[in-house]
Amino acid sequence: MRTHARRTIAGAAIAAFALIAAACGSGDDGGAIEGPTITIGSANFSENALVAEIYAQALEAEGYQVERKLNIGSREIYAPALEAGELDLIPEYIGTMLTYLGGTASPDSAETHAALQVAWESAGIDVLDYAPAQDKNGFVVTKATADELGLTKVSDLAAHNGTLVLGGPPECPEREFCLKGLEDVYGLSFTEFRPLDVGGPITVAALEGDEIQVGLLFTSDGTIIAKDFVLLEDDKALQPAENLAPAVRAEIIEAYGDKFAETLQQVSSKLTTPELTAMNKFVGIDGKDPEAVAAEWLKAIGVTE
Amino acid sequence: MVDEEGGGMIEFFGEVAAWFGDSANWFGTSGILNRLREHIQITAAATAVSTIMAIPPAVWLAHRRIGGTLVVAVVNIGRAIPSFAIVVLFLPISIRLGLGIGFWPTFLALLFLAIPPMFTNAYTGVAGVDPDLVEASRGMGMTDREVLLKVETPMASPVILAAVRVAAVQVVATATLGALVGWGGLGRFIVDGFAVRDSVVVFAGALLVASLAIVTEVALGAVERRVVPSTLRSRSEHVESIVA
Repeated sequence: MRTHARRTIAGAAIAAFALIAAACGSGDDGGAIEGPTITIGSANFSENALVAEIYAQALEAEGYQVERKLNIGSREIYAPALEAGELDLIPEYIGTMLTYLGGTASPDSAETHAALQVAWESAGIDVLDYAPAQDKNGFVVTKATADELGLTKVSDLAAHNGTLVLGGPPECPEREFCLKGLEDVYGLSFTEFRPLDVGGPITVAALEGDEIQVGLLFTSDGTIIAKDFVLLEDDKALQPAENLAPAVRAEIIEAYGDKFAETLQQVSSKLTTPELTAMNKFVGIDGKDPEAVAAEWLKAIGVTE
Repeated sequence: MVDEEGGGMIEFFGEVAAWFGDSANWFGTSGILNRLREHIQITAAATAVSTIMAIPPAVWLAHRRIGGTLVVAVVNIGRAIPSFAIVVLFLPISIRLGLGIGFWPTFLALLFLAIPPMFTNAYTGVAGVDPDLVEASRGMGMTDREVLLKVETPMASPVILAAVRVAAVQVVATATLGALVGWGGLGRFIVDGFAVRDSVVVFAGALLVASLAIVTEVALGAVERRVVPSTLRSRSEHVESIVA
């Protein structure tokens, strides 16, 4: 206990010193910006915490005071915390959040984003511009299957109706975004549906072992890169839009002005699904430190030096 | 209100009955008949293999009086590990060994479930045979082999067979976990029903598993009554309390 306390004091002293140093720093590192500390939260899974870390580092580089409260829990916990002002900024998925607020998400990103902005405005939350990156359900095949059957988009599967096995979460046959939608919207039929897990290791193993040829994974899953899977393009827009967007308290925007939003929008504009997938692989599969992955990426896109 | 609740229950059982009455739920890959076949296939295989792996070594070790409490204790550690954990732990191992998902992780977990009680009961059954009886058999000029096969094993047979029966019933109930790692079987109704919050399907699945467990219990009980020497049958009831 005592060492811990001592460490905390030492840490606080260093932090205080760093603050003073930053405050006295010259203009070319941006310098500290006067105003309220921005508390950044995230959901309790690694991708969301990583994006929150990216926001945090991008804002710190501009001189904003940032506090991190990452891996808080589910939406039921962090969304009310944001509305209550315990958090100021979170990375959010537009489709799921709109559904959470009682709206209906569509495959159109701009439309879903606009609807979310309206739905959340009364709670004092601004949803800034969304990133191209989406974390939604995606249908995946192995490289070998894709090459052999010439598959790049979901509609290509129609040429192989009745010859492939689909694997996914047990509820898939009942869901519009899954087997039902594949049948109704794409006109696909499979020899069999195999109930597996929700975009997890069992689906991956089944794909690798050729027990299934088409599997449901999440579009930004690092495994897709690690296993050299091919994510089929949802060319008939079955899945609701799930772009990542910064959700921020309106008070913060008022306090800092447009420049604050611009920093985050610069980050969002560069965050694509392949970039996010690659970062997820670094963190989730290669075991790299999320802070280092975030820092490296921000440097690569030119937000930090 | 009370009436409404009662009505709800009746309605629920009516829905379950309707589910069983729908022939669409009986045929095809995800139909009852195929799931039942898969369930019987994996439980029969797991029970048979664990019987072969557990009983002969246990009988032989007990006959030679090797190991004693130590062996039993070590084997018994297996009973402390939840089957669910074993299924999940075997999944990556099975994948790495190229055995894939589904059958093998479930099968291996069921072996781990069935072997310890079979081994322990067979061991204690043989070790518990009256030493005077063994001594008398030797005195009559029986060879070591004859003592094992004609005295100790028949004497211990009620315990051994009861152990196999109890393990088989556990295996039938536990094979439902296979549905979590991509295997079929009757557990599919429970897992898939839960995934869509359909309690009728979950209940129907549980009913099917329980029925199969009861059938297993009764069938193996009948086998036991035919195999166990009539003079030892009274022992069979006494055994029940040891095994359970």
